[in-house]
Amino acid sequence: MEKSRKEKYIGRRMPRRDALVKAQGRAKYTADYRTADMLWGKAVFSGMAHARILRVDAAKAEALPGVVCVMTAKDLPAAKKYGIFCADKPVIAENMILYEGDPIAFIAAETKEIAEEAAALIEAEYEALPVVEDPREALRDDVPPIHENHPVTGNAKVMAEVTLDRGDVDAAFAEADIILEDDFETPQIEHVYLEPDCCIARWVDDTDVLEIVAPQQAVYSTLRALAPVFGLPESRVRFISPYVGGGFGGKEDSCCDLAVIAGLLAMKTRRKVYSEFTAEEVFRYTGKRHGSYVHHRMAATKDGRVIGLDIDIILDKGAYQSMSGLTGGPHAVAQRTVLYAAGPYSVENVRIRSRAVFTNHPYGAAMRGFGAPQIHFAGESQMNELAHRLNMDPVAIRKLNMITPERPTSFGQVLTEENGLGLEECMDKVKAELDKPFMPKHPVRPSQRRGMGLAAYIYGTGMPYKSEGAMCVVHVNRDASVEVGISTTEMGQGAQTVMAQIAAEALGVPVETVNVPLPDTFLSPDSGPTVASRSTTFVGNAILDACRKLLAGFTEAVAHGVGCSPEEVTYAKGVFAAPDGQEIPLRRAIYMAATQAIPQSAVGIWYPPVDIGFGPKGGNSMHTYSFGCQGIDLLLDVETGEIELLRSVLACDIGHALNPQLVEGQMEGGAVMGLGYALTEGVEYKKGVVSNDSMKDYVILGFKDLPQMTSIIVEAANCMGPFGAKGVGEPPLVATAPAVREAIRNASDGVKLNRIPFTPERVITGIYKAKEGGQTS
Amino acid sequence: MVMRLWVNGVEKEVQAEEDTMLIDLLRDRLHLTGTKKSCCSGECGACTVLVDGLPFRSCITPALVCEGRRVETIEGLGDAAHVHPIQQAFVDAGAVQCGFCTPGMILTAKALLEKNPEPTEEEIVEAMSGNFCRCTGYVKILDAVRSLVPYRPQEKEEKG
Ligand code: FES
Ligand code: FES
Repeated sequence: MEKSRKEKYIGRRMPRRDALVKAQGRAKYTADYRTADMLWGKAVFSGMAHARILRVDAAKAEALPGVVCVMTAKDLPAAKKYGIFCADKPVIAENMILYEGDPIAFIAAETKEIAEEAAALIEAEYEALPVVEDPREALRDDVPPIHENHPVTGNAKVMAEVTLDRGDVDAAFAEADIILEDDFETPQIEHVYLEPDCCIARWVDDTDVLEIVAPQQAVYSTLRALAPVFGLPESRVRFISPYVGGGFGGKEDSCCDLAVIAGLLAMKTRRKVYSEFTAEEVFRYTGKRHGSYVHHRMAATKDGRVIGLDIDIILDKGAYQSMSGLTGGPHAVAQRTVLYAAGPYSVENVRIRSRAVFTNHPYGAAMRGFGAPQIHFAGESQMNELAHRLNMDPVAIRKLNMITPERPTSFGQVLTEENGLGLEECMDKVKAELDKPFMPKHPVRPSQRRGMGLAAYIYGTGMPYKSEGAMCVVHVNRDASVEVGISTTEMGQGAQTVMAQIAAEALGVPVETVNVPLPDTFLSPDSGPTVASRSTTFVGNAILDACRKLLAGFTEAVAHGVGCSPEEVTYAKGVFAAPDGQEIPLRRAIYMAATQAIPQSAVGIWYPPVDIGFGPKGGNSMHTYSFGCQGIDLLLDVETGEIELLRSVLACDIGHALNPQLVEGQMEGGAVMGLGYALTEGVEYKKGVVSNDSMKDYVILGFKDLPQMTSIIVEAANCMGPFGAKGVGEPPLVATAPAVREAIRNASDGVKLNRIPFTPERVITGIYKAKEGGQTS
Repeated sequence: MVMRLWVNGVEKEVQAEEDTMLIDLLRDRLHLTGTKKSCCSGECGACTVLVDGLPFRSCITPALVCEGRRVETIEGLGDAAHVHPIQQAFVDAGAVQCGFCTPGMILTAKALLEKNPEPTEEEIVEAMSGNFCRCTGYVKILDAVRSLVPYRPQEKEEKG
């Protein structure tokens, strides 16, 4: 990629526009808007993961002075269930508790203390039911289904089943020189955004509108999911998302769980209501990355070509739909595990099945990577195993199998260089970096062994639906300053900054004059959810479209004004030039447009020009894909099982980097989150109730755990992206866990760990088992 | 009861009970919402403020502990017109993403640099290690703190 670009703002390390207000504590998050006159809204929970509700009595709670209202299931005004894909989660549980986060009552009180006291006065009786924690167990005939009457699946145990069946898998396995077969396991993961969920709701009496302020990733998804719960048309519910203190996929759903509490209480009391989850409640009640159980079979030739894959994936769905996807579509996490089951490789014969199975765990939600980290752990581990078996270089074997313009994806999508195919460059650069000499800063103990490993990934930009597109409104004021109306959330990724760069570049105006307000369903058009690493590409393209339309209008206005044809007018850096030499600044052109009935606002829209449609026989899924490679260098203490990270080298092909500083930020944050996934993280349960519900017990990595971090940006431009961009938010953590596994394997003379996190106990058990002659899994 | 303390250099008299935590006094009674509330159990560092120059977790610090003492919050460092060099360093290094950990990080860094203007790499990591960030991967936060060493706030303030 040529580096000398003609753009003024694109490709520059521009500091993010919200950095200073955040560094000065001036940035307002939802909780910062709370005032003393607000009621405290609180949900009451049963403390059980599976139970039949026999009785809920709120009389004593209602009688407590300072309690303004108590709601139980019978008091719900409209729809009793909600959900973004399907309405299956009870607003307030009536008969059944299916996981610990099912509330049995909502309370509004004058203070937090009174609300808590009232919660303790709610009397309830339950019949405890056997808790189902393992989705494989849930599928057994002797285990009753969790849902008796699910709105979509009835009493089925499988929420979503997605398959891919191509080529002749049995023939491939029959003629294979090598067959690898293994099981892999990953736990449920908490997002651990630092801002706990909270919500402010108020009934706006003079306009009969319910207004809800909450940290959200997708204001329009929240709106569509919850308007039926309030019994209001979508036009009379206003969702606003201020700055969001981290989301990572979780605040697509969790905001709904809070908004029903504050929203319904505000409607009922006609007062402002504030509601929050404590950090512990976030751990216990909100969605998680799906846990996974993968049975993986790989058929290969002795020269290293993968010719067949036969993979069965079982996902821990938890109690409700959230983001697993529906069997007939829309597809979501279950489908992504199928899509990426072959990794960034071209495999002709594949039989892949993924099932999201109900359990009594918190609902499996979206989390950074959306199914990809789980399936890459299995697939990339297996690819490394194949390299060991054949004594091949891990990069060489990947190059032999990778997707090329001639070798399509396992789902039959042909990708060309124009889509951006940067995997080879990523792998070469990671390997070159790992090959550089590096000495640990301290003396290595005799029990410490060094090991390195790498893994690769593929990750699509956007979602594989026909409805996947973006809309925006760009408005130019008379002084030529610009407002970009989008519903993209600012949750740390820097969307406002990048969108302003794009608009400023396209319109030729100073970036400081571009304003990108935060999402508000009354003011922002629906540019789609802030998910799927889609915003820069989809919303960015929509902004470009709007800017083009605006400039076309202004050009017409200028042409008419000076008496020439629009083709003769040129525009650069804020000035229109007419053929007679006249120069018309943008400001004047805008005024000319205003006098000629030419709009000063434009709706921009972008849908990828690709026929999208995934089915059991495959099909195009996303318009472009990001690729990357993660390298790990570590020390393993073979006596204690402790791992000390030395180096993390991550190369991401992200198309053209519109703002390299923001891209590096995503890469570094993703790598560390991926290292936590590999080494320490995982939700634990006792009888279905989350037992590690704090940062003391659920360990995320900190400063002291950091290895030397190298981020390498590879720019295989996406011809359809704005200025060549493609997605960057999620991919950086997709290949971390299998790279760590491989480094441990190499440090330990072949110990194979197939279950994350690699805690010292698991590592040491693996080492002992290997010594005894057996292998581990 | 009524307590007296200095917040960002200004003397304040506020109502506080024995179970009032410093964070609630700051956020709810003094409306200084720059101090962020996250884990609320002393584990993440987001709520860090300085008490007589030392980093304290305001979520587990009873307000009464600060009777007669100097409390410094993120609002005390700078404002739109006066950007503190540590704040500027965080902006320049790209150390801010969602921003929820940022005030606590900046105050922790300030306590370190004021005590030890030329910390080693190990000393920086040690001092910062109780503060967690889920967004940045810490790399650019370390870059920001390193860029301030040797720390000469006066000089830098004049420049900035
Ligand atoms: S909020 Fe105080 S340490 Fe986390
Ligand atoms: S910037 Fe989000 S937690 Fe640190």
